[in-house]
Amino acid sequence: MSAITAILYREGKIRATNVTFVFWDFCYPLFNLLVFGVGLTAAFGAPRSTAGVDYNSFFLAGVLGMASFAIASNSSWSFFLDRDNGIFYEMLTYPMSRAEYLLGKLVFNVFIAVAQALLTIGVGAWALGIRLRFDLFPVLGVAIVIGTAGWFFFYTILALKIRRNDVFNSVTSALYFVFLFFSSMFYPLEPLPAVLRRVAMANPLTWEIDLLRYGSIGLGNPRHLVVEAGAFAVFVAACFAYAVHSLNQE
Amino acid sequence: MSNFALEIEELVKIYRARRGGLFGHDSAAVRAVDGLSFAVPRGTIFGLLGPNGAGKTTLLKILSTLLQPTSGRVRIEGVDVVAEPLEVRRRISTVLQETAVEMFLSVRDNLLTFARFHGIESGEARRRADRVIELFGLAPEIDRKVQDLSGGFRRRVQVAKVFLVNTPVLFLDEFSTGMDPILKRAVMESLRDEAARGRTIVLTTQILSEAEDLCDDILILHKGRQVARGDLNTLKLLSQGVSEVAMTFDALPVDIEAEIARLHPLRSQISGSTIEIALKAEEGGAIDIVGALAKKGRVLHVEIRGASLEDIFVELTQKV
Repeated sequence: MSAITAILYREGKIRATNVTFVFWDFCYPLFNLLVFGVGLTAAFGAPRSTAGVDYNSFFLAGVLGMASFAIASNSSWSFFLDRDNGIFYEMLTYPMSRAEYLLGKLVFNVFIAVAQALLTIGVGAWALGIRLRFDLFPVLGVAIVIGTAGWFFFYTILALKIRRNDVFNSVTSALYFVFLFFSSMFYPLEPLPAVLRRVAMANPLTWEIDLLRYGSIGLGNPRHLVVEAGAFAVFVAACFAYAVHSLNQE
Repeated sequence: MSNFALEIEELVKIYRARRGGLFGHDSAAVRAVDGLSFAVPRGTIFGLLGPNGAGKTTLLKILSTLLQPTSGRVRIEGVDVVAEPLEVRRRISTVLQETAVEMFLSVRDNLLTFARFHGIESGEARRRADRVIELFGLAPEIDRKVQDLSGGFRRRVQVAKVFLVNTPVLFLDEFSTGMDPILKRAVMESLRDEAARGRTIVLTTQILSEAEDLCDDILILHKGRQVARGDLNTLKLLSQGVSEVAMTFDALPVDIEAEIARLHPLRSQISGSTIEIALKAEEGGAIDIVGALAKKGRVLHVEIRGASLEDIFVELTQKV
């Protein structure tokens, strides 16, 4: 346990002493919701196929999904920085297992994800009038934690397997585009052309966002969501196993 | 319990051939460590020497659980590095060759974070940090982020960390890189104190005078194999018949380089009007050589010495 608290101490110190990190960690999804969500609501109103739900409410889950994706991406970037300045390898000689190392980083990411979700949901409900389903908050909580874990392990694999900075940047930029825009983050899938819809339905980010949407505003088909939850759990387990394997090979 | 801090038996490490794929280039298989066996008693300052690519850093990475060996057995304080890596990590602290520091943290937070990873309670960590800050002259920079410090100061912070903990074994890979001579001397003194308290220190260095001053026991590696092992006196016996000649001329003779080349020295160096050569010659032969060279110009100073560690190192690694 002391190894995990040491990692939390380290990550906390790094974040707390840098204003830019604090902004990205806590305010980025909220600003997305306030700027992007409010703008599109003014322009288009309610999205097609989701009658009775305004765009701010619809987009809330997208913003939370984007946040877990961005936290993981930033965290994997920190692997690169740590490797560049050598501390990554030194840390691997500290008295902790590889799994504890990953778990410590994950716990910190989950803490950030939960804090920014509370901030975003709170401001969204207060300032934008988003009607939340408090009875479904346990689902929302689980989706935030598991979603953050899944993307964290996924990006950890990329950070460990790709050795070159320029390649890593190219790959993550491409993934950012593919995962975010071929998903249910910004728009409902029903009106999309069949090919795009199929791609989006196979995207783990869609599975996570659908769960977040159900947990926050109650939108979604529970039977369909159970399948998506199962698929996402498999995705997380596979990424975790491969991330530990990759770290053991370092 | 064994008297040895390190026990290495038939250790082999082969880096597999790699295909570079889309973004890299192919590399052939490399046998970086090739059947090493040795043991290091507790409280020893043990030097690993060898030219670039000899396998020193690979060996240190195996000892510090960063790499798994291909075959063979390694025990640190009686604990197997492959079977129980976490237990090994509880017994070691490591200074890697690369500068490894927390760039976004202050000097103080670097020290305290390291102490926390090693389970030192915060009050005790602060007390130890104060001592180490003084030893390494870090007080003026204590609250600055390490990313704002020079390379030399970053290295100080990195090396300072290992003096915070009491792990029985300490690995130092080229620890003095970037240190000024005064600090280096102070650190070397502290390392001797640590060894006297029973800590085992394993270091690699390219600065042979450093190993000569510090190490109780030296292993010379070449192409992953042991070429020689022992204290400085034992190694000097291996290199009997090597002499070192230093001559300072009034002005450097024009054809001196060709003259030196004809002697086939083990090594030679010319700086200003001083030449330094190490060559295979008994004392009488060395005097003859000095006599011959002295005819080339006016000599201000002459010195003939026995082999230094550098000469031994060059001779032994060239033999293989």
